[in-house]
Amino acid sequence: MVAVARRSVLIGGAVGAGLLAAGCTAGGPSSPAPTTPAPPDPLLAELADERRLIAGYDATIARHPALRARLTAVRDDHAAHAAALVTALGPAAPPSPTTPAATDSPDVSSGVSPTGSPTGSPAGSPAESPSTGIESSGGRTRVPVTPAAAVAALRAAERAAASARGTAALTATPDRARLLAGISASEASHVAVLA
Amino acid sequence: MTAPAPTPTGPGTPTATPSPTPSGTGQVPALQAGLAAEHAVIWGYGVVGAHAGDALLPQVRDADDAHRTLRDDTVALVARYGGTPVATEPEYALPFPVTDRGSALRLAVHLEEGAAAAWRYAVAATDDVAVRRAALVALSDAAVRATRWRLALHTSPATVPFPGD
Repeated sequence: MVAVARRSVLIGGAVGAGLLAAGCTAGGPSSPAPTTPAPPDPLLAELADERRLIAGYDATIARHPALRARLTAVRDDHAAHAAALVTALGPAAPPSPTTPAATDSPDVSSGVSPTGSPTGSPAGSPAESPSTGIESSGGRTRVPVTPAAAVAALRAAERAAASARGTAALTATPDRARLLAGISASEASHVAVLA
Repeated sequence: MTAPAPTPTGPGTPTATPSPTPSGTGQVPALQAGLAAEHAVIWGYGVVGAHAGDALLPQVRDADDAHRTLRDDTVALVARYGGTPVATEPEYALPFPVTDRGSALRLAVHLEEGAAAAWRYAVAATDDVAVRRAALVALSDAAVRATRWRLALHTSPATVPFPGD
């Protein structure tokens, strides 16, 4: 058999099950986490970054519709990344942000935008967004004027994301390392399609 | 291949991995999984090269070279961690008949997906940061090459959310 190492380690189930014990203090799905001195789950930063990437793709597609065919599949990869991170986070996962359309309307009534993250996750604030190469302010993602520049910005964001997820994988638990490594590799391959 | 692996590499390629200190577990099994896959992939690229056609040959050669380098580096790493590197098999079974450019490209995708699966397994199989980093780079490179072959095949989408799944 050519493809060796077919020991497909379960991802969804295994990750989810393994992490259920991680955060069990949240009062309810919509209630803010109580003020605990415990440091935030590091996956929160990765999740916030994935959501920023998704917002960046949505805003780019809205601004440059001609790019839709090229960007939609990549955007969908990030949606899968975010969903997997939510599963891995379990109860610690913050509520999902408003719909992608939010990037078109600056002042949506979203109390759950990254800024409003009740747990105050370190990467949940737009102040950190430069790390992704995607600028956002007031919940709105800025998109470069030309399609080429917009794609270049996304490419830079993918590079940064692949690096961040890869770094996080180095010291994570095995299940999380596997998840983060897969996301990192996916993002590295995004750079190739955005070239 | 120009393998732009924007993973946290730095000086972290296998050759640059520091000498093993007993700072982790599972290094040898993790590396052996990757090495076994690399043996199979190198064998497979021989088949790809025989059918891909002249135009694709430079890319096939680049990919083959990259895997040979990775194999050699991995052999050295396994030995450094005290293991006996697994040997290549004399022959491997093809997943489907390879008769032309299209099937050769599909085999190339298949090979890189197999490599990605093995290296992703390796990432989780050890907690040694240096070995994890090496496995991450290998995983990322395989994912990028798989995407390039899919682009050559006009496969859509050309990327997957979780390479190695």
